[in-house]
Amino acid sequence: MASVDYGRTCSNFARMVEVGRVVVLSYGSDTGKLAVIVDIVDHNRVLVDGPTTGVVRQAIGLKRVTLTPLVLKKLPRAVRTSTLRKVIEAQNLSEQWAKTAWAKKIAARETRKSLSDFDRFKVMRLKKQVRNVINVEVAKLKKQK
Amino acid sequence: MACLHEYQVIGRHLPTESDPSPKLYRMRLFAPNEVVAKSRFWYFLKRFNKVKKATGEIVAVNEIFEKLPGQIKTYGIWLRYDSRSGTHNMYKEYRELNRCAAVEAAYKDMAARHRARFRSIQVIRVAEVAAKDVRRPYIKQVLQSKLKFPLTHRVFRASSKRNNTLFLAKRPSTIN
Amino acid sequence: MANAPRNSLLAPGVTRFSRSKVYSRRALWKRNKGTTAPAAPKAAATTKTVQVNGEKNGKERVVALNKAPRYYPAHDVSRPIRAHKTVRPTKLRASITPGTVLILLAGRFRGKRVVFLKQLSSGLLLVTGPYKVNGVPLRRVNQAYVIATSTRVELDCAKVDEKFNDDYFKREKAAKNKKATEEEFFGDKAKKPTLAEGRAADQKAVDAAILAAVNKVPMLHSYLGAKFSLSKGQAPHALKF
Repeated sequence: MASVDYGRTCSNFARMVEVGRVVVLSYGSDTGKLAVIVDIVDHNRVLVDGPTTGVVRQAIGLKRVTLTPLVLKKLPRAVRTSTLRKVIEAQNLSEQWAKTAWAKKIAARETRKSLSDFDRFKVMRLKKQVRNVINVEVAKLKKQK
Repeated sequence: MACLHEYQVIGRHLPTESDPSPKLYRMRLFAPNEVVAKSRFWYFLKRFNKVKKATGEIVAVNEIFEKLPGQIKTYGIWLRYDSRSGTHNMYKEYRELNRCAAVEAAYKDMAARHRARFRSIQVIRVAEVAAKDVRRPYIKQVLQSKLKFPLTHRVFRASSKRNNTLFLAKRPSTIN
Repeated sequence: MANAPRNSLLAPGVTRFSRSKVYSRRALWKRNKGTTAPAAPKAAATTKTVQVNGEKNGKERVVALNKAPRYYPAHDVSRPIRAHKTVRPTKLRASITPGTVLILLAGRFRGKRVVFLKQLSSGLLLVTGPYKVNGVPLRRVNQAYVIATSTRVELDCAKVDEKFNDDYFKREKAAKNKKATEEEFFGDKAKKPTLAEGRAADQKAVDAAILAAVNKVPMLHSYLGAKFSLSKGQAPHALKF
């Protein structure tokens, strides 16, 4: 079997399984946690580790993982947990992650979930106000036409 | 199959007048528990030496744990298995985190490819294989230093069965 | 090792020595077997002998001290079991404190958001709209029919008058007419129950302080005025209140 460098040939794919790739675990008790691919076991499984997010170093099936656009740069293969932690902190992974639209969406969902009844009422009111302003402007523009 | 463990079993023939301090035999075995490990010990000892359970004793049983369970290694497994028509020796390679997982994978692999049962497989040797000594192409493929590959067909799976839905309003997308 | 037990466990629940073995090992046969049980106290006499007159009556007869009753019921009468219940004061939910905004779930004012004032001795909650905001008067509510929200109206200065107790809300019993006359029955002047005197004034007095507190917080006034309802996709058990 000839080895194929998929990275070069399949440029259509933006996210690759590779050492350093940041993933979101999507199954079991670790659901939603960030982890980093440290090594590749085979085509179906990878070794992930997440010292900053409470993910224990483990081999996990790729079906239970979602790839993110983030990659840790210059991460050697099969690094130890402590080294990985240093790299993660040096490259500010949590900050990078927080900047993505994906993370923002999750954060927004969380805050929406934690709103109290009164907060929900306030949101409803404020949205109404925004709508009101916009609609007035839209109506004006329509009239001009 | 139950999760396998690796045991070291030490046993000997019972001391007799002619041989007051008989030779000790040590074996490393893969078994789901100590009881099976001891049983396998007698099974093998009976075949190789003139010692059986009735005339022998077990001196010690210890579990052997992996030294580096956080590191992926390539294991070569030499095994012997009785097929329906004869006995065969085999060599197989697996990439796993520990020896037990590799042997378990071997048993599963043998069951899948040859319908072989636990009783008809004898693990002869399990050893870590250096990258340059790897023989199987499908293992060699994964050993490239800058391995990179996409996930081409993503099927969305719910995080737990409770969150599973049978019907969706949107057609699922399989592109990641 | 003076106190180590002789009989160790082989496996949980399985002892090394049998009961009889332990008996001999502990030399229990040497021990005193224990004193015999004290003689039972003599049973009190339940009969007495009575002299009987008359020649042919045997002169003496044994008679029970306590005569058996003459009447036996033909059927066993079932006796009610004694109830061991005691009436304990109702516990107020920890999430409800004076000033907490509650959502009423049942009754005429269901869905309304009201302010909790205090718990009455009957265990019911004293609650007010305030009346001017959402039309809920001073009222008693069972806490089972209420959702406590995390929103609070600062009521530190407002003290609820002692006169608002369970008696205050007691309904006057209408004098029972023997029979309505035809005129009364069909007459259009069916009497509407009027509010007891002073109720309106009481309501105003209580609400004044609350309203002042409510108006300090932006949007709280309109929040209390709005009715609670679930919209699509909202599950009450998953919501935070």
